[in-house]
Amino acid sequence: MKILVVLRMIPDSAGELELTGDGRGIDREWLDFQLNDFDDHALEEAILLKEAAGATVVAVAIGEGSNRVLQMAVARGADEAIALEAEADGMIDSRAIAGSIVALARSKAADLVLCGVQSTEDLFGQLVPYAGARLGWPHVSGSSRLSIEASALRVTQERGGGIAATYEIALPAVIGVQTASKAPRYVSGSKLREASKTAMGKAASEPAGFERSAEIVALRLPGQRGTGENLGDNPENVADRLASILAAKGFAGV
Amino acid sequence: MSETPILWIVTLAAVALTLWRSRRYVATLALAPGASRFDQPWRRLEGLAIAIGLHRKMLRKQLSGILHALIFVSFFVLFTVTIEAFGSRLFPGFSLAPIGGDSWIALLQDLFAVLMLVGLGLAVYQRYILKPARFRGSSGNDAAIIYALILLIVSSLLIEAGARIVGGADGSWRPVASLVADLLRVLSVQAHPTEQIAYWVHIGAILAFLVYIPGSKHRHMFLAAPNIYFRNLEPAGTAPAVPPERENPGVASLAQFDWKQQLDLLSCTECGRCQAVCPAYASGLPLSPKMLITDMRDALADETSTPLVGGVIAEETLWACTTCRACMEACPVEIEHLPKIIDMRRHLVDEGHVSPMLQDALSNLTRLGNSMGKPSKMRARWTKELGFPVKDARSEPVDVLWFVGDYASYDPRVQDVTRKVAELFTAAGVDFGILFDAERNSGNDVRRVGEEGLFETLAQSNIDAIRECSFNRIVTTDPHSLNALKNDYRHFGAEFEVLHYTALLAELVTAGRLDIAPAGGATVTYHDPCYLGRYNGGFDAPRDLIKAAGYALHDMPRCRENSFCCGAGGGRIWQGDDGVKERPSENRIREALGLGVGIFVVACPKDKVMYTAATDALGVAGQLKVVDVAELIRLREAPAAEGYDRIEGGAING
Repeated sequence: MKILVVLRMIPDSAGELELTGDGRGIDREWLDFQLNDFDDHALEEAILLKEAAGATVVAVAIGEGSNRVLQMAVARGADEAIALEAEADGMIDSRAIAGSIVALARSKAADLVLCGVQSTEDLFGQLVPYAGARLGWPHVSGSSRLSIEASALRVTQERGGGIAATYEIALPAVIGVQTASKAPRYVSGSKLREASKTAMGKAASEPAGFERSAEIVALRLPGQRGTGENLGDNPENVADRLASILAAKGFAGV
Repeated sequence: MSETPILWIVTLAAVALTLWRSRRYVATLALAPGASRFDQPWRRLEGLAIAIGLHRKMLRKQLSGILHALIFVSFFVLFTVTIEAFGSRLFPGFSLAPIGGDSWIALLQDLFAVLMLVGLGLAVYQRYILKPARFRGSSGNDAAIIYALILLIVSSLLIEAGARIVGGADGSWRPVASLVADLLRVLSVQAHPTEQIAYWVHIGAILAFLVYIPGSKHRHMFLAAPNIYFRNLEPAGTAPAVPPERENPGVASLAQFDWKQQLDLLSCTECGRCQAVCPAYASGLPLSPKMLITDMRDALADETSTPLVGGVIAEETLWACTTCRACMEACPVEIEHLPKIIDMRRHLVDEGHVSPMLQDALSNLTRLGNSMGKPSKMRARWTKELGFPVKDARSEPVDVLWFVGDYASYDPRVQDVTRKVAELFTAAGVDFGILFDAERNSGNDVRRVGEEGLFETLAQSNIDAIRECSFNRIVTTDPHSLNALKNDYRHFGAEFEVLHYTALLAELVTAGRLDIAPAGGATVTYHDPCYLGRYNGGFDAPRDLIKAAGYALHDMPRCRENSFCCGAGGGRIWQGDDGVKERPSENRIREALGLGVGIFVVACPKDKVMYTAATDALGVAGQLKVVDVAELIRLREAPAAEGYDRIEGGAING
C-alpha cells in the first residue's frame, strides 16, 4: 500500500499578522511558518498505518519551510519526501493545489491520500472533496481512527454529539484526518539530523483543473475589541478602581 | 594436623570465595566500553590525597566524618595485627618483633583498638539513635553485619593479646590488653586455650569480612580510592558527549555505560548525602540519587532484571532531576549521577518518550529556537521600551556581545530586569550589542533533558551567528546560557570568553565606571543559582554587587556550593508539577523567611520567575520581595523611578 500525505505550511498565529499592500493577502515576509496541525495528525496516522499494516509513505509538503517539515516526516518514518512547488508568498488555496495533489497521487500510484481535515487557509476542508472528486475516489473527512481490515480501509469519523461512525471504504480513497489514533510522536533532534541526509524530491505545480470562479477582493484583520485593564496587586487600589469602574458602568450607585 | 596447613586452606578458600563472589562485577567492568580517565596522574593523586587523607568531603558532616576517620585510621593500624596473625602461622617464624612488633607497634595497636571501638560506638549511635533521614533506603542489615564483624575482630584481638599476657608475655607495651588480662585473671580462664580460641575467632571474623565485602557496600574499602582517582576532571558544566562509537544517543542497558560509570555503582557507600541535598527528593518526587545508584548497582548483579530505562529506573525518576548537581557535589566518593541520568534521558527522547508539556517545549525549540513558542522576530522586542537603541552585533563590531537568553528576552516578568541591565551597561559606557532574532536558546537544558540532536542544532546555529560577529567577550544574563556557551560549546571547537552579567557589573563597579548611590544598608539574602555557583564558581560577584549597592548580606544556611535548587533546571521548567508535595522554590522561600529579611536577591532570570511565583503561592509577596541583583543597584544620576525606590513601592513586583 502506498500512502500520500499532504503537509501544508501555514503562518504561525503567534506572529503579528499584517496585510499586503493591496489588502488581498497576508504579508508573509515577517512571519514564521509551521506545519498545519491537522496535517501533522495525518502524517502520524500514515506512519501508524505503515507500522500496523505495512505501507510506503510519501510525504508532500507545500509552502515556506517545507524542507524542514519533510525532514521531520522522514525522521518519523516517511519513505519519500517531495516539496511541491507553490506560488511564492501566496495562500495555500485548496482549489489551486488539488490538481497537483491529484497528479502526484496518480504518478506515485498512491492507494490512499491523507491530509488534515482543514487548515487556517482552508477552514471548510475543501481539499479532500476537491482531490477526491478529481481522482474519482471515495472520500471521508473528519477521521479519528484509521485501520486496515482485510485490504479494506476502516475509517472512524467523528460526528456531532459524541457519536462516532465507522465506514468501510474500498481503496483507493482520500481521507481528511481530524485526529490521528495516537498523538503525533516526538521525533528527536538526532533523528532529524540523520533524516537531513535524505534527498528531498521536488514536484512542479500542476494546473488546478477548475474553471476560475471566485477570488479574494479584500482581507480584514481581526478587529480590535478593546483591551483588558490590569488592576494591579494592591488590594486597596484594586477595590477602589473596581468600585469606580462599576459605578461608571452603572452597576453600583457609589 | 598442624595449624599452618589449616590456615593456608581456610585462607585460600576464603580468597577464592571472595573472587568468585566478585566475578560478575569483574566481568562487567572488563567488558564495559572505555572511558579516558588515565590522564593527569598527579592532579588525580592530589585530589585523592585530599579526599582520603584530609577526609575533605567526609568532614562536611562532622560526626560522620570524625567517626569514619577514626575507623579508617584504626583500620590501617590494626592491619598490622592482621599481618602478624596471618604471617606468623602461614610462614612460621614470621614476626613484626624486629621492627617493634612487641613495643611501639604493640602500643599503637592497643590504643587504636580502643579508638576503633569509639568510632564504632559513634557509628552505632548515629545510625540507631540519631537516625539521619539520609539513611532512609540504605541497607540496615549490611551496616549491622559490619558493626558486628568489627566488634568481633577488635575484641578477639584484645582478648588474644590479654590471654598471652596471662600466659606470661610482657604486657608493658600493651596497657589495654593488660587490663583485659586482669579481667581474664578475675574470670580465671586458662591462658593458652583462650588465646587459641580468640586467635581463630579473629581469623574467622577477618575472613568472613573478606568474603562478605563483594556483596556489600563495604566494597568501598577497595573501590572508593580508584573511583576518586578516576573522577571526572572536565569542567563541571560540560555534559558528557555521546561517544562516537555508540549507535544511538542514549543508554538503554547497564552494559552500555563505560567502566567508570559502572565503577561508580559499585563504589556507593549508601551514605545518603546525595539524597539529603536533592531538591527532587525533598519535593516528594520519585528520585533519590542514592537509590538511583543502588537500584542500578543491584541490577548489575542480577542478570534477570527488567529493562534499565522504564524498568530498573522509572521514567518519572529520570524526569524528576533538575540537574542541580548538588548530589555530585556532596558525594564523598565522586559518583557521577548526572551523566547517567542524562544518558538514560537521551534514550527516552530518542524513543519519543516525552511528556506532552516537554514535547511542546522541545517542538517549539526545534521550530522557533525558544521554548515559549514565540516568533524569533519578537526576541528583541524588550529593547523597544528602552530610551536608546541597542546595537545589532551582526552588523557592527562591539566590545561585549550580550547573549540575552529566552527568559530574559521573552518573559514579561523578567524583561524589566533585562532593561535594567541594559541601562547599567549603557551608564557604564559598555560598548555592547545583541544578536536580535539570530539568537537561539543556548541548549543548556535541552542537552540536559537528553535532546542531544536538538542541542547540537541550537548550539551550531548560535555558534554560526556568534562567529559572524566582531566582539571581544560574551556576557550572558542566564547562568544556563553561561554554562552552555562556556562549557558545552567546546565540543564544537568554540572557545569563547564568556562571563555572567554579575561578573561584568562587578568588574565595572571595581573600575569605578558605575556611579552608585548606595542604599541604607538594609539586610538582604541571596540565592546562588546552580549554573552560576556550583557549576561555574560564580559565588562572589553577586555578593560584591549586593555590598556595592549598599546592602548587607545575610546568607541562607544552604548557600554557595550547598545552594538549594529552585526546581527549574534540567528542563523541569518545561514539565508539570505532578507528584510534587512541596515545590523546591517554596522550600527555599521558607528558608529565606526564617532569616527575617525583606529582599530575596536573585541573579538568574528563571529564579526571578520561579521565586516570584513561589512568594505569590505562599502569600508572602508583601513580606519578601524577589529582586534581581541588577535591580538593587541605583545610580546617582538615574531618574527617580529606579531601583530600590520602585522595589519599595511594590510597583516592580509582578
